[in-house]
Amino acid sequence: MTSYALFLGCTIPARQPFYEVSARKSLAKLGIELVDLENMTCCAPPPLQSIDLETSLSIAAYNICLAEEADLNIVTLCTGCFESLAMANATLKENEKLRARVNKILSNAGKEFKGNKEVKHYLQVLMNDVGLDRLKKSVSKDLSKLKVASFSGCHLLRPSALLKFDDPERPHIFDDLIGALGAESIWYRNKLKCCGGLLRGYADDVALAIAREKIVNTTKAGADCISTLCPFCFLTLDLGQMLIKSTFHEEYNIPVLHYAELLSLGLGIESKELVLDFHKIRVDNVLNKIS
Amino acid sequence: MEQRKAENTNDLAFSKEISSRLGGETVTLCYQCGTCASSCPVARITEKFNPREVIKMSLWGEKKEILSGDAIWLCCSCYNCQERCPQRVEIADVIYALRNIAIKEGNVPNIYSEFAAGLLNEGRIVPISKFLEKKRPEVGLPPLKPAGVDALRKILSATGFDKLQKKEEAS
Amino acid sequence: MEEVKIGVFLSDCGKQLSEILDFDALTDYVKKVSGVALVARDSEFWRGSGLQAIVDAVKDGKINRVVVAENLPKLSEVKIVQAVEKAGLNPYLVAVLDLKDHCAWPHRDKPLEATEKAKAMLLAAIERAKLLEPIEKLQFPALKSVLIIGGGIAGIQAAEDLADLGFKVHLVEKAPFLGGLAARAGRFFPTDDCSICIQSPASDVKTVTHTSRKCVYRSGFTEIPNLNILTNSKIVGVEGVPGNYKVTIEKKPRYVNELKCVGCDLCTTVCPVEVPDEYNAKLKTRKAIYMNIPNVYPPVYVIDESACKFEDCAKCVEVCPTKAIELNQKSKKTTLNVGSIIVATGFQEYDPSVIKEYHYGEYPDIITNLEFARMIDGFGPTNGTIIRPSNRKPAKRIVMIQCVGSRDRRWNPWCSSICCMISLKHAMLIKSAYPDADVTICYIDVRTTGREHEYYYEKAREMGIKFVKGRPTEIVHDPEVDLLIVDVEDQISRKFLELEADLVVLAPAMVPAEGTKELAEILGIELDEDGFFKEYNAKLRPTETKLRGVFLCGGATFPKDAPTTSLHAHSAAIKTAKFLNTGKIVKDQKTAVVNEEYCGDCEFCPVTCPYGAITLEPKDEEHFVAKVSDLLCEGCGICVGTCPVNAIELRHFRPNQIQAQMAALMSINGASKPLVLAVCCSECGGTVVDSSGMAKMQYPANVRVMKVPCTGFLQVHQFLRAFEAGAQGVMVVGCKSDGCHYEVGVKKTEKKVELAKTLLKEYGIEPERLEIFNMVYIEGDKFAEAARMMTEKLEKLGPLQLMKT
Repeated sequence: MTSYALFLGCTIPARQPFYEVSARKSLAKLGIELVDLENMTCCAPPPLQSIDLETSLSIAAYNICLAEEADLNIVTLCTGCFESLAMANATLKENEKLRARVNKILSNAGKEFKGNKEVKHYLQVLMNDVGLDRLKKSVSKDLSKLKVASFSGCHLLRPSALLKFDDPERPHIFDDLIGALGAESIWYRNKLKCCGGLLRGYADDVALAIAREKIVNTTKAGADCISTLCPFCFLTLDLGQMLIKSTFHEEYNIPVLHYAELLSLGLGIESKELVLDFHKIRVDNVLNKIS
Repeated sequence: MEQRKAENTNDLAFSKEISSRLGGETVTLCYQCGTCASSCPVARITEKFNPREVIKMSLWGEKKEILSGDAIWLCCSCYNCQERCPQRVEIADVIYALRNIAIKEGNVPNIYSEFAAGLLNEGRIVPISKFLEKKRPEVGLPPLKPAGVDALRKILSATGFDKLQKKEEAS
Repeated sequence: MEEVKIGVFLSDCGKQLSEILDFDALTDYVKKVSGVALVARDSEFWRGSGLQAIVDAVKDGKINRVVVAENLPKLSEVKIVQAVEKAGLNPYLVAVLDLKDHCAWPHRDKPLEATEKAKAMLLAAIERAKLLEPIEKLQFPALKSVLIIGGGIAGIQAAEDLADLGFKVHLVEKAPFLGGLAARAGRFFPTDDCSICIQSPASDVKTVTHTSRKCVYRSGFTEIPNLNILTNSKIVGVEGVPGNYKVTIEKKPRYVNELKCVGCDLCTTVCPVEVPDEYNAKLKTRKAIYMNIPNVYPPVYVIDESACKFEDCAKCVEVCPTKAIELNQKSKKTTLNVGSIIVATGFQEYDPSVIKEYHYGEYPDIITNLEFARMIDGFGPTNGTIIRPSNRKPAKRIVMIQCVGSRDRRWNPWCSSICCMISLKHAMLIKSAYPDADVTICYIDVRTTGREHEYYYEKAREMGIKFVKGRPTEIVHDPEVDLLIVDVEDQISRKFLELEADLVVLAPAMVPAEGTKELAEILGIELDEDGFFKEYNAKLRPTETKLRGVFLCGGATFPKDAPTTSLHAHSAAIKTAKFLNTGKIVKDQKTAVVNEEYCGDCEFCPVTCPYGAITLEPKDEEHFVAKVSDLLCEGCGICVGTCPVNAIELRHFRPNQIQAQMAALMSINGASKPLVLAVCCSECGGTVVDSSGMAKMQYPANVRVMKVPCTGFLQVHQFLRAFEAGAQGVMVVGCKSDGCHYEVGVKKTEKKVELAKTLLKEYGIEPERLEIFNMVYIEGDKFAEAARMMTEKLEKLGPLQLMKT
């Protein structure tokens, strides 16, 4: 049984329990053990990096140290956490000077970054530890009628030099995994463009305009739903549609589901177990297309 | 276009200040090709932010305008610019470095103080409500492990992060 | 050994020097030194009666070693040495020293101390002269034949020059036809003349005039008597030494007999195979038997062996009227003996498919400049019409993008130099053919630096070509309107544009030609950090490589335009001609020599020698021994400085000579100041001492200069010996760190100085007594200052106490 230390971050337990539920259930069904470590903290994503990069790097390193001590690789659900931790891991493994600097800070908390563990996103675990073939065989429902507009968000792919997750210009992993469920991952305009989520709270008008463009493009392309990996993207596109309605007076009603939720549905986990009513845009249309 | 008075507001040491900070090391490589500007989702929507212009002004030493203005807070950290830059300027990281300098000098947008407060108090930038914590077993989730707040506070103290907040509260 | 009889000639430079130095005292002193047979004093000894006096003394047998204290030794030494050689004495038995710039001028304020220093300098020259040995003149064969690799315009022009001069020239081209990139380019900026137009060969006196120029195929170039052209051929091996190379060429089968083909084109009409025509940007197909374009050399068809069905078809064989097609041809290897090799392999266009955001290769309507050149060529795949490859409809809106993969640290960091002009040319050709076409060029900078290039740019603007200062982030395809959209910020108007285009023309980087790495290995020459063949020094030694006898020209060293390529090619031809002209290479044997008994087979010296002059030869079953090639050795002595067991020596700088000079320089003090030995290289280091003296900069006379070929010649123990000899401080003066004239010498010296400092510390000697300085000629003032500061420092440290065992 493959085991990983699960890194939950802040937003998912605070706002999107459905993501956590579907992830735990689906990964368990596929034979992946998720270990909950004590003392994990925030990963230090962009909002904290904006305040101080040295602190953020140290916080990320601290969390990696916990996994090193438990002799486990880390898996994240949120792509923001993935970027923060994987970037820190790669940077500190390569840069001796910086590593020494961060370790000096970590010594205050009794930790030392050794650089002997990996940080993965759960899509990597699905690709490499489960594999597309086994995944296909594990799917018990028919998703072939479902047209999915995949949106991995920015932080899964970029900066590609450090994250090395997928080809940043021609990513295919997310689309392959949707295809493995039997659904169709469709093309839509500006697929790789940011959702603007990180501007919420500072420049809501700009953030909303960017989000709206994505909703328009996915709808135009004929998507039944949008599939996300990042809780911020989810929020921007799901709750965002309510704001688009009130600001622009446009209704799109395109459901947004995290991949883990689609995965869970495909594996035959009952929708009522997945806490889907927390979504702002109802997902009934999607459920109806899965048999 | 507004008229600018021909006064010398340049701080020639500014670009050195940026390039000696974590994240800002590559700023002087920029040759103003504009690839970042056309890669930027925000720049297309608002005139208030253009990554090429932010870098140009930083290299010119327009310290006051950069640090007290809106622009540097409008980057959505999508890293598209950094990915496409032909000179490998780490543009998104440079903007983090500029934000770091701005905050160090006391210019903190409200939302960031909220995040920082959450971190210092609970080890999380988004606090988890008691309601949701109680709901966990209902939906089949294991209890949430406590965050390492003590260890975190020691780190925040070692980097001076906690003092940044105090400065902001004082002002 | 015959008795050593030294003649010492003191020049007082028209009595200038005797105002400062006491020449009587010097003459008296020198007379008393053992081995000195004759002392003379005059105003000048490098010409006139002074020089005659030296010559007479040699001829009369009075002296067999010559020491001259003369002004401007770099100038005067040449004359003296030439005259001495004519008089019958080996020219290496002469030592020239400079009492003016190294003594009188810099110490004019302290004439007594200067005179004492002059005594030490003379003693050093005399002691060296005693130990000098005659150096032989060697001769090596230089075959008057040249191999030119690459049949593009650079190779062609160099071949023409050399063949006209009477050398046997072998021009080898790997493609089936000559012409290279030029043949595909169509026209050359800024004159827009035909790209394959070349100067006519001088030998063709019947059909050409002095100013005549013609396209390659009708210039008669190919008929120059001593020119041998081999197409479809490549270099597979090179052996030998400069002046005498043996090159193995492999000629691929053409499957068509060059002597029988009459170019009737019947074969292509019956050939059933059609493949995409790569030469023509795959915008059309060609047959398996083909000619690129109608005007080629050789005017003989060739069969593409990867496409042809050979005996399974053989329709062309049946139809050929002269039975020229020979399907059973095989590869042939030939060996050529040549005196020198010129590399003219050119460059190629970078494949922009890796720059995924530009979608080249995915969307057919995105092409490169070279592909566009084929399109607009009247002989090309579309007969000169500009079309969208996707649907063959005319292209009306064209966007050109510059710096695609150039100036890009992700792909090729350099500026490819010619693409701005190429794109301007293409843009203007479009507008000339279709005045209503909408042409936009997206650029970062417009680089039009050559003669008349700026006017070219002006003309483009006059024709209504639009310019956007901004580098596009992406090209997307809008399926609804079937147009390409170029996403770019126009910096000047600060607008975000989405330019619609029927056709996008990319200006990709110009990169080293295919096969460059392999060829460099075969020839044993270096590539620079961008992957192009490395020119030894673009200003001082253009077209040369570190290997004498191998030259470079044209785009092979860096992308260049046609006029510059022409210059480069003619330059390489002259260099080659100079090298081979007399039929022999004459070289003085002031090279390194290995003492085979001591050689420990450690392999340090072959690896260190910047010129590949040292090889390992088998000594017996188990051991190898180092051997120096007198032909390749440049006499820098870096090998000497590297050998851990002193098994290798420089013939003109033997250890006993160095030792004697050091001891002599330190033997006479005459000043209250601590003695400093300044060891200078004969390149920059030495000239900086000269220049400080010439400019009359003052520094203390306790600083005594000894010259070596390269500071890399020095071994760590020699720094320590200098202290033993009486130096209180040692200055090492060499070229700039990355400007060593022997490439690696001074960098190695810097490391040795560090090591020596550690050793000094172990011996209880202050490490600051030894310092290294990197200076060039124009920094004479820095040398004077360094000498003063060194002296001050040593005064503060106090006298050195060396333990005597």
